[in-house]
Amino acid sequence: MSGPIISLTGVTKHYGSFQALQPTDLDIQSGEFFSLLGPSGCGKTTLLRTIAGFETPSGGVVRIDGADMAGVPPNRRPTNLVFQSYAIFPHLSVAENVGFGLRRSTQSKAEKAAAVEEALGMVGLEGYGPRPTHAMSGGQRQRVALARALILKPKVLLLDEPLSALDKKLREQMQGELRRLQRQVGITFILVTHDQEEALIMSDRIAVMFEGQIAQLATPEALYRQPDTRQVADFIGVMNFLPAQFVDGSAEIAGLGRVDLPDNEDGSGVVGLRPETLQVLYDGADAPARIAEGDVVEVTYYGDMTYYDVRFDGADKPVTISMKNLAGRAVLERGARARVGWDPRALVVFRD
Amino acid sequence: MQDDTRRGLLLVSPPAIYALLMLAAPMAAVLLFSFWSQDFLTIDRTFTTKNYVEAVSDPLYRALLIRSVAIALAVTVVTVALAYPVAYFVSFHVHPSRKSLWIFLITIPFWTSYLIRVFLWKVILGFNGVLNSSLLGLGVINEPLTFILYNQNAVVITLAHAFAPFAILPIFVALERIDRSLLEASQDLGESRFRTFLRVTLPLSVPGLVAAVLIVFIPTIGDYVTPRLVGGPNGLMIANMIQTQFLKLNNAPLGAALAVVAMASVTVISLLFIWLNRRNLRARR
Repeated sequence: MSGPIISLTGVTKHYGSFQALQPTDLDIQSGEFFSLLGPSGCGKTTLLRTIAGFETPSGGVVRIDGADMAGVPPNRRPTNLVFQSYAIFPHLSVAENVGFGLRRSTQSKAEKAAAVEEALGMVGLEGYGPRPTHAMSGGQRQRVALARALILKPKVLLLDEPLSALDKKLREQMQGELRRLQRQVGITFILVTHDQEEALIMSDRIAVMFEGQIAQLATPEALYRQPDTRQVADFIGVMNFLPAQFVDGSAEIAGLGRVDLPDNEDGSGVVGLRPETLQVLYDGADAPARIAEGDVVEVTYYGDMTYYDVRFDGADKPVTISMKNLAGRAVLERGARARVGWDPRALVVFRD
Repeated sequence: MQDDTRRGLLLVSPPAIYALLMLAAPMAAVLLFSFWSQDFLTIDRTFTTKNYVEAVSDPLYRALLIRSVAIALAVTVVTVALAYPVAYFVSFHVHPSRKSLWIFLITIPFWTSYLIRVFLWKVILGFNGVLNSSLLGLGVINEPLTFILYNQNAVVITLAHAFAPFAILPIFVALERIDRSLLEASQDLGESRFRTFLRVTLPLSVPGLVAAVLIVFIPTIGDYVTPRLVGGPNGLMIANMIQTQFLKLNNAPLGAALAVVAMASVTVISLLFIWLNRRNLRARR
């Protein structure tokens, strides 16, 4: 494969004295589904708009497909953006919206019409061309915005929180469709989202951003299993944090006891455990690696899962444990005693 | 529901009665008069259309009507052409916190009576006026310009100045309502700023543009004071003739017919203009 399709070197952005983007280096490969994930105000949208050309970086170099983009306006960049508000032109029909960017193409009228119909077919809106856009639902407007960008066959498609305005069902459906589309057209997608679940589901790689900086860049699995910092671990999924003291290659963890953790210098910190790596032990369960006991302080029933908050003996705060509701498995009640199995291999160490 | 309707009717009735008395009743009277005729000092109340035949066939009246329409169109074009850039500037290039100040400043001409402003234009445009003496003093011209006062140019200049704020405000409101992400979307889809203006900003500002055109065109065509004061003999318009018929020639029926013809012309031209722009005026979110 050739070089990265997007390459940022030392890109910064500040508005007056506010630093929206710390110096950022980032390479995104061709054909990747890449996500910028972070809470609002973390600079992810600024980064996206810098790539699109709507923000001029205060410093650093943005390259797209090897070409320096300094001074190149948005209309001359090989990128297209799907706006958070969709930005559908209200005075144009669906077909006119989708064909908006084709004015300068050398295709004949019939070819353009065919391209519009093909793009509409790609997003499941065959035959919607002549309709006005004001009567369309949020999901349909979203599809029009997608078709309008994809018809231009950009090298990179930028998506600015495209699903945040949709209801849950529709959002999940669109997540699947976006992935399918991305594989089908083979274009690099860069998605901005504050929804960690969405980023995990859809992306090949994720950059987690806090306060204008990329905190960690990894695959979804690595991000979930091996977060670099407590902040990342806390933002991605649910993580139980337990204070720990590291002494002589082992750790004394509040509520869980002593466990061997070689290659750790002496000192203090916390260890993290995901809810699904802990399990409430029922009679007859296989003996796990380690067992701890505590009181069930809260039970949250989700139908397929039950979440237990269990306070281990000798710990200050409860940990969250997720259990599948298998057939014949009783749901524990609040106040019950729980024996909890856990595995030291699931521990993630965060040093102070 | 019925209670709501009753309360609604009660609320609108004072202005409705006022409008009925002060607008609909006089209009009906004008319409009625136009089908009567003047018999020396008395009004002959037999139905006749001879006033209308005279109003449209007499070359003098026809010339005045065509001139009124032409001047009104010229005023409209000049005013809107000047107002659009101002509205665009305030909407797109003035910091949001200063926009209301700008709009406030734009309304300053209203602080002076319209009559006084017309007189001021006489002072500016006159033979020994501000403009001529300045240009003479600067050596740009050798003798005073005479084509700027007491003719149709003077009427257009004066009316365009008077109506500019009326045109700026609706255009400004229409521009303010345009979602800025649409402009970015257009650029993102490959269009330059200028093309974006033509394909997105301009069509989306059409409702304001149409409002501005109607607000300027409709009152201008029947304007009476301005042509009277700065128009000279060749700048007189249909309203001046209507006044002459009513007050000097003592022929109210013919004056009424001329007024109805003028109103009908305005209506037809306005409706035609709205119809031409129907595509960009349709309701939208």
